[in-house]
Amino acid sequence: MNNRRTKWHYLLVLLLLSIMNSVYADSQPEIVFEKFWIVAAPDVARSTAGYGVIKNKGDVADTLINIRCDMAMIMLHKTEITSGMAKMIHQSNSVIEAHSELLLEPMSFHLMFMDITPANFSEGKQITVKFEFETSGVSEVNMTVKANNY
Amino acid sequence: MLKKLVILLFISLLSVQISHAEGDELPLFSGIGGSFSAVDADGKAVEFSDFEGQVVVLSFGYTNCADICPFTLGYLARLYSKLTEEEQTKVQIIFVTIDPEYDTPGHLKQFIGHFNSDFVGLSGSKEQIDYIVSLFQAKYQKLSVLNTVPTKNIRRVTPKLFSDESDEEDKASLYSHSVTLYLIDKSGFTRSLEYTGTPVDEFVSKIRGLINE
Repeated sequence: MNNRRTKWHYLLVLLLLSIMNSVYADSQPEIVFEKFWIVAAPDVARSTAGYGVIKNKGDVADTLINIRCDMAMIMLHKTEITSGMAKMIHQSNSVIEAHSELLLEPMSFHLMFMDITPANFSEGKQITVKFEFETSGVSEVNMTVKANNY
Repeated sequence: MLKKLVILLFISLLSVQISHAEGDELPLFSGIGGSFSAVDADGKAVEFSDFEGQVVVLSFGYTNCADICPFTLGYLARLYSKLTEEEQTKVQIIFVTIDPEYDTPGHLKQFIGHFNSDFVGLSGSKEQIDYIVSLFQAKYQKLSVLNTVPTKNIRRVTPKLFSDESDEEDKASLYSHSVTLYLIDKSGFTRSLEYTGTPVDEFVSKIRGLINE
């Protein structure tokens, strides 16, 4: 009898753990990187841009707190056009809400690679960028350098 | 025979009407544009009147711009490729730097050549550039971030793999600037203000209209 009761207790605990685990999993951000590429830089360029989409498929928001690249200084910028003037604005601590995305595209949000060696950013090269999120931690994304095909 | 003549007459009337429709739609912007002097990518002095007889698309920018300037030059390269070879000889794409200190003629030539070797990059003294900017009622402003900080000094705080470190200071700066594309007719008058977002076919149609004027 006691044995049977212990088994039931054991199963109940397992069930509770499973429910808790599922609730916890549902309340995590899920960061996904899609279609990232970098614009091939002219031979004399000191900077270039990268574009793509960062999706948060999870149920809670996450914040991009740092971006790193061994091949260049890198920042998340946004080009804003006001009264015909384009202005680049540095973005820090970008929040990506649950089930939403941050679209990086020309004349909007973009990764700005500065102080580059153009040979490293020529067509076909691979560049690794590390994105650090407050909750999700660090993700490495490999990006291909492609010709400007706007 | 008569039937053929009627068809030919109809086609020629139609083509005249189309070319007029393209050109006639464009007003003349008084007070935007005019004559100026600059330095071309070979270091030679040029006058804007040197381009008389050609339809000109003029834009402002700088080579250390990572997003909108390469995007605009890529857009202009696509636009230019839509023109026939004969039309291309009647059109000049001009990119005027707003950072003449950094964008020397040789530097500009290599940068512009990445997009299309037919494009003309214009530089000059700061006074010359400021005059051209004011002629076209454009604006530019150095951004405070990284304003006077040499990029070499910024590099020191970010670990990076470089094999070709140079002691020469690189004073590339960041700017905000006008993004208008000025469509100028063969007589040097500004006829339309476009943007990189203008559908390419629509822009090409306007250029053709001015070529046929």
